[in-house]
Amino acid sequence: MPDACGRTFDEAFLSGYLDQALVQGDEQRVRVHLEDCVSCRALLEDLASVRDATMSSTFDIPRDDEWSEAPRTGTSRLLRGLGWPLVTAWIVVVIGFGLWETWQDADNLFERLLLVGGLSGVSLLLISAFLDRRHAMQTDRYREVRK
Amino acid sequence: MVERQPPVAARGDTAESESALIDLARAGHTDARETLAQRYRQPAYLLAVQMLGNRDDAMDVTQDAMLRFFTTLDSFDSERRVQPWLFTIVRNQVRDLWRRRRRRPGDSAPDADSLTSQLVAPGPSPEADLRRQQLREEVWRAMDKLPAEKREIIVLRDFHDLAYNDIAQVLGIPIGTVMSRLHGARRQLRARLEEGGRHA
Ligand SMILES: [Zn+2]
Repeated sequence: MPDACGRTFDEAFLSGYLDQALVQGDEQRVRVHLEDCVSCRALLEDLASVRDATMSSTFDIPRDDEWSEAPRTGTSRLLRGLGWPLVTAWIVVVIGFGLWETWQDADNLFERLLLVGGLSGVSLLLISAFLDRRHAMQTDRYREVRK
Repeated sequence: MVERQPPVAARGDTAESESALIDLARAGHTDARETLAQRYRQPAYLLAVQMLGNRDDAMDVTQDAMLRFFTTLDSFDSERRVQPWLFTIVRNQVRDLWRRRRRRPGDSAPDADSLTSQLVAPGPSPEADLRRQQLREEVWRAMDKLPAEKREIIVLRDFHDLAYNDIAQVLGIPIGTVMSRLHGARRQLRARLEEGGRHA
């Protein structure tokens, strides 16, 4: 836009001027030009208002206790993420094996019915725990630490 | 849930007390480490969230960056200032995360409005304040759409108030190129704002 405005300096000097980062001579050159040039003045005002908005913004930040309770490193998180599925798999295998053995040894219908009931109950609990766990990891990985 | 922070958390601390803290932390004083962590975690988090747009990712990056900060304390020249150095670490961690997620640094934030949603809205306030807040939201929405290299230089200068030489250090570029890069980025941000209808 202001290429035809007759300034004798690079347009980037306007940013330097805004930031008070120019050496004295350059600062003066820009100031003198701004007195006469409407378009450079408009650009500078625009840049200044955007900068003011950026500068005065406030962001949500985590509370202090969220920092101390959160897992410390990516590695510990990774290990924890691996740990849960491993533990779950282990429980499933151990219980499954135990049940299978008992099933083989059971000698009447009543004992087998008892087994099937227990087996389905345990599997439902495990599945629900696994789903909760997965949900917690996807949505909010610090939830369990916070409560 | 919400805390407010001054725009530049670490401003106003004398270099002397900072280097004294560094020396103490290096000597293994837990209190000095804790003070440093409390003082710099917040600006580090803000830079991370401004680059990543996501709270959880920003917390992860900040914690990894603080950890790295303390493990590399011995190689830090305590005559230098902490913030640019820590920001360099944060920036590297952000880039590592992108690399792991196969995002390029030139990409803008993945979900639009992610930064705007982290802004603290003012309470009931006069209309002039509301208009200012509206402009802030528009600015961060436009910032979200900027490529990372444009966003980072604006954020370092205009939000974190880093001097040109500190920006050069964080970005690893010659100080002579800071002003023109910054101006180019500000121009692009302004263009995005105009697309968004601010000057309509
Ligand atoms: Zn002009």
